[in-house]
Amino acid sequence: MKRIAFALLALAFVAASLSAQAPAVPELKGKTVEITIWTHEDVNRTAIEKRYIDEFTKANPGVKVNYVTYPSAKIKDIVTAGFAAGNGPDIFNLEIFDAYPFLAEGFVAPVDLKAAGYKSYKDIESKYVAGMLAPVVEGGKVYGLPLELTNWALFINKKMFRAAGLDPEKDWPKTWEEVRSVSEKIAKRDGQILLRRGFDFRYPYYLTSVVPMVEQLGGELVSKDGKKVAVGDAAWLKVFEYFRDFGPNGSNLGSPTYTAARKAFDLDKDEIAMSLSGLYQIPRLQAANPAFYDSKEWMVVPFPQWKDAKKVVPNNYYGHYYMVSSQESKLQQQASWALVSYMLSHGEEYLGKVGIVQPTKALMESAAFKAMPYSDVFAKDLAKAHIVYYGASSTKIDALLKEAFESVMLSGVEPAKALEKLRKSMAEALADE
Amino acid sequence: MKRASGMEGKRARWGWVFVAPGLLFFSLFSWYPIVNAFVTSFTNRKLISLKAPKFVGLQNYVRVLSSEDFWNSARATAVFAVGAFVPLLLLSLLFAALIVSLRGWKRPAQMALYSPAVLSSVVAALIWLVVFDPRGLANQALNALFGTPGIDRRWLADATMAQISTIVVYVWKYVGYFTILFVTGMGKIPDAVNEAALIDGAGPFRRFFSITLPLIRPTTVLVSVMILIQCMKTFSTQYLFVQAGAPTGPIEVMTLAIYNTAMRDLAIGRASAMSMLLFAVMLLLSWLQLRASRGGEDAL
Amino acid sequence: MRKPSIPKRPSELALFVLARLVVAGAAALILVPLAFMLSASFMPASDIVSIPYRWIPDGFRWKNYLQALAGNDGSWLYARNVLNSLVVAGAVAATTVAISASVGYGFAKFRFRGRNLAFMAVMATMMIPFETVMVPLYLVVVRLGLQDSYLGLILPFMASAFGVFLMRQYLLGFPDDIVDAARIDGCSEWRIFRSVVLPSIGPASATLAVLAFRQQWDNLLWPLLVVQREEMKTIPAYIVKFAAEKSADEGAMMAVAVIASLPVFILFTTLSKYFLGGSAVFAAGKE
Repeated sequence: MKRIAFALLALAFVAASLSAQAPAVPELKGKTVEITIWTHEDVNRTAIEKRYIDEFTKANPGVKVNYVTYPSAKIKDIVTAGFAAGNGPDIFNLEIFDAYPFLAEGFVAPVDLKAAGYKSYKDIESKYVAGMLAPVVEGGKVYGLPLELTNWALFINKKMFRAAGLDPEKDWPKTWEEVRSVSEKIAKRDGQILLRRGFDFRYPYYLTSVVPMVEQLGGELVSKDGKKVAVGDAAWLKVFEYFRDFGPNGSNLGSPTYTAARKAFDLDKDEIAMSLSGLYQIPRLQAANPAFYDSKEWMVVPFPQWKDAKKVVPNNYYGHYYMVSSQESKLQQQASWALVSYMLSHGEEYLGKVGIVQPTKALMESAAFKAMPYSDVFAKDLAKAHIVYYGASSTKIDALLKEAFESVMLSGVEPAKALEKLRKSMAEALADE
Repeated sequence: MKRASGMEGKRARWGWVFVAPGLLFFSLFSWYPIVNAFVTSFTNRKLISLKAPKFVGLQNYVRVLSSEDFWNSARATAVFAVGAFVPLLLLSLLFAALIVSLRGWKRPAQMALYSPAVLSSVVAALIWLVVFDPRGLANQALNALFGTPGIDRRWLADATMAQISTIVVYVWKYVGYFTILFVTGMGKIPDAVNEAALIDGAGPFRRFFSITLPLIRPTTVLVSVMILIQCMKTFSTQYLFVQAGAPTGPIEVMTLAIYNTAMRDLAIGRASAMSMLLFAVMLLLSWLQLRASRGGEDAL
Repeated sequence: MRKPSIPKRPSELALFVLARLVVAGAAALILVPLAFMLSASFMPASDIVSIPYRWIPDGFRWKNYLQALAGNDGSWLYARNVLNSLVVAGAVAATTVAISASVGYGFAKFRFRGRNLAFMAVMATMMIPFETVMVPLYLVVVRLGLQDSYLGLILPFMASAFGVFLMRQYLLGFPDDIVDAARIDGCSEWRIFRSVVLPSIGPASATLAVLAFRQQWDNLLWPLLVVQREEMKTIPAYIVKFAAEKSADEGAMMAVAVIASLPVFILFTTLSKYFLGGSAVFAAGKE
């Protein structure tokens, strides 16, 4: 039933989009302006955004738009080099912890209210779910509009559970302890060589999905007053030990060097039974493997918690905000915000075609969102989650976490030593800000 | 060879005519960026900042030289440079000596050895990442060879093995290239010299050590400087391996550390200081190497 | 010439056998990963990591090649990207040879004030890792307005310290007498360079051209920075993009790798004389 409703909605989007017309922006009338967008690759999103741009430039014939996509692993370096050389884009988006340094350094312009069609900054905030704009609000002004906010939950391959003698509906792992024991049951090895994995982490996104594991145990990445780092020895050590025991030096259940879990999951080739991903993975799964999608042999369950967790912490949500460069002319900024605002006004189509969620109140409460399979699982986790750590050195801290966890997991470094080093380097990184 | 000084002056001007256009390119695309990096190394410049950088004296150098991570990357570079230099030099000498003795089939043998060198590093890394997969060829081959089914050598996942794997890829890619340089060097040795030695009853080892090696000395010096410089500049393999999940620490060579300091930490001042240090070490090493070998005077 | 007869002396016989065994073994080992790339390019992803690996694919999966050429977004830009790589690498090879020959000749055959200093300054650039100068260099190219153009990809690599070194080395071995004789005949310096020197540097040019071509063929970082438009990308940039996209499978990736390697392999086999023989220059110079 859900699926039929979903399909009907998708159809409705298509019909609506055919008659779409972009607003003509008065400020741009009779002027020529060229703007550039740098964004990460996402085939489905590119298709619809190119269409919005066409519509926008038809309505505003003086505007020319260069739409450029980069691999998501590379775009941060490219935006960095661009701004460093005074050759940045007009519009860009990065994961918030990569984008924040640009905001902090003054490279980002506040939303141009008139061009974007808002009455006030308060008006913008009122359109979004509470707290979702927090990272981009500074001094009462809003410096970015959310393209997507994402949290991850656990994808389960039911067939593989049953093949291992488990009942997916009952035995899906609720705790990290169960993640390990269930993985042990599903894993298949030829000697030391892992042929089939139960669960595997999503490397190297440590800020996003490993820090919550620490927080569940009462630890913190940075203390509230910002003075102490890697707070709570017991919590950190327990998570370090979990990684050590999970990895090739322990029970050999997974490692960062295997094929990305979510990719192997979509292929359904009996390679992996559980992976972490966002709601956007569902349309990707459908595109990559329609047969598996249709078989309904998969499901999504909440982000696991420790058995003796001190508090419930789901996967951190993270997000992309469309931002506009402060380094370009007023006219370019106006054109940019007008375009961003027009593109983002298609929240339901972004959801339907790309599976990405703009955290607007309208969308989260819409029938389209509710009709999306498992959207309730993500929404429930999201309500209890907090945003990923961001700051002027968040990229560096993510790299330090990767180094620390992988030194324990792969290079046999003692957890206590790794923690000590992590603490020292993190303190140094924060001092550099 | 005496000439009128007017002639000298005219010819000197012609020297500049031949050199100047090229030097223009060097100044724009090599010297300016280097000087820029040198100046930057004494400032606190951030890669993205609207504030003007401040002069901080030797602070970046002090910070870099007292950081554990810098010495780790110095170690990683040294391990890689030595680890790749020795097999590259020895294997290419050995293969060259053997190929020269082949007579027939010389060209196909050279082409086979050389072929990986024409691949791009990205392609090489793509292939090897699949070969080094735990279920991949590398494990299968070794396990079949040693009769040890089910052993995972953890090519990418283990600290020591990750270093070995980067060296394997590098040696694989370039051994043929250096072999050919040696083959050419050895080809210059007149047949008569070897034949005379053969008639005198000198065995293959004697001939190699007493005739071939001394006669190709200039080639050896040149090739070893090339190998060393190239190894110290290695970047792509380590970069792609880390992207594929290999642990960072063991293979974070200097170039990768510089790249990360600049592009990830945005500390371009510190990254420039690291670059200058690497530059100094490389200059010193090449100079020492050229001096240490008498043939060096011929090569430079 | 010696006849390839089987030697009788035991030590020579040992060398004879050993040389063949070792060279054949090394060649086989070196070719295995290439054969693997080719064989895997016809397989579905799951067969590529099967144990034991089956070298002959069950049926040829041309779909991998179709996917490689079409790209995951169906833009069919790979062929264009391959062409870009050829244009850029070819242009860099040609210009590097021209500039290096001229500068190398100046350094080798003329005495002028500042020569040694200029030469050392050129040589020093050989020691600079590219990552070090990447950002300032990018700045230069942006100021010149050369992003997204062939020129932006080509210009920074035209001046090659190694090329200058090579040409100087080679020309040091070029007899002064010939140059002097031409001068006495009344040839202008330019004419001497063009008609006497240039025709004689064939082997050095071949070596250098091959080297420069290969380096640009291999260049990843620079095109990623300088090129924004998809149709201006080069092969390595396309590969990184292709491999990063979530839906790429290993079979299609190996097909991309094969296509990336084909043009150079064709060049390599047809021009093997220059690839192999060209390095004669290393043994030249002063003897």
